[in-house]
Amino acid sequence: MGFGLVLAAFAGAMVALQTIFNNRTDVHMGSWATTTWVLGMGFIASLACSLIFEGGRTFDLQNMKLWYAFSGLIGVGVVICLVLGVKILGPTFSVSVTLTSQLGFALLFDSMGWLGLEKVAFDWKQLAGVAIIVAGIYVFKFGGKKKTEPPELQASAFKTL
Amino acid sequence: MIRGIIFAFLGGACITLQGVANARISEDIGTWQAATVTQLTGFVMALLIYLFVKDGDLGGFRKVKPLYLAGGAFGAVIIYSEVTAIQTIGVTFTISALLIAQLCVTFLIDTFGGFGRPKSKMGAPQFIGLALMIGGVLVMKL
Repeated sequence: MGFGLVLAAFAGAMVALQTIFNNRTDVHMGSWATTTWVLGMGFIASLACSLIFEGGRTFDLQNMKLWYAFSGLIGVGVVICLVLGVKILGPTFSVSVTLTSQLGFALLFDSMGWLGLEKVAFDWKQLAGVAIIVAGIYVFKFGGKKKTEPPELQASAFKTL
Repeated sequence: MIRGIIFAFLGGACITLQGVANARISEDIGTWQAATVTQLTGFVMALLIYLFVKDGDLGGFRKVKPLYLAGGAFGAVIIYSEVTAIQTIGVTFTISALLIAQLCVTFLIDTFGGFGRPKSKMGAPQFIGLALMIGGVLVMKL
């Protein structure tokens, strides 16, 4: 349990840094050029890690199914949705809705066991926990925060937080 | 307004779906390989969209600090850690811990300034919000 939590927290910290860096890149390049750049870098880094840690097994893809190749399109869908969400609702409201939906679907995926996940029996503690986290998100996002952000940062698509 | 909520909602659904799909794919071809394949497809698609909408300028990277440009490479360790976490503790715990850490780090960077971001005052609501979120994870673990 502890190890998994640490890994998840580490991923979250990296996502926060990456979001800030992407935001800085977006200012000069725009959302799609930034997305292209970020995914290109991610691809190169992943390939390098794969070659280092897996060696020749990197290209051992006989278990590959066709849909795996298309799964990468989900990330592009994420960018489209977030860009439009932020444009219409502004970052604060839009991000709050996105985080809520992320958690809601996490609970749904666990209890349904979709995509071959180990099914986690739904229990009310999980729902209560998620509800409390969501409440925390809204307090965090909407609680009086004096922010004086330059307009060029506000216009960015990478306002995940 | 409703359209915006739908987009923001679908965006969140896709973020979670992406993590779960990556975890599924990793079981068959390995985690680093899954990260490689999915980001290659995403890269090609994003490039096509960029060439189609011609919005922004890929050449603008010359004006961006190298550190910020390297941020994309984090994608490798992010996917690896998230997938491994999902496989060990399930989706709900993973997403919860991930989001809390993400908010905490953004919170710290905004409090102290850095990476070209303006300092912003974080008040009691932000502390209460984070405390509630951590409390939520504890409730789940009860």
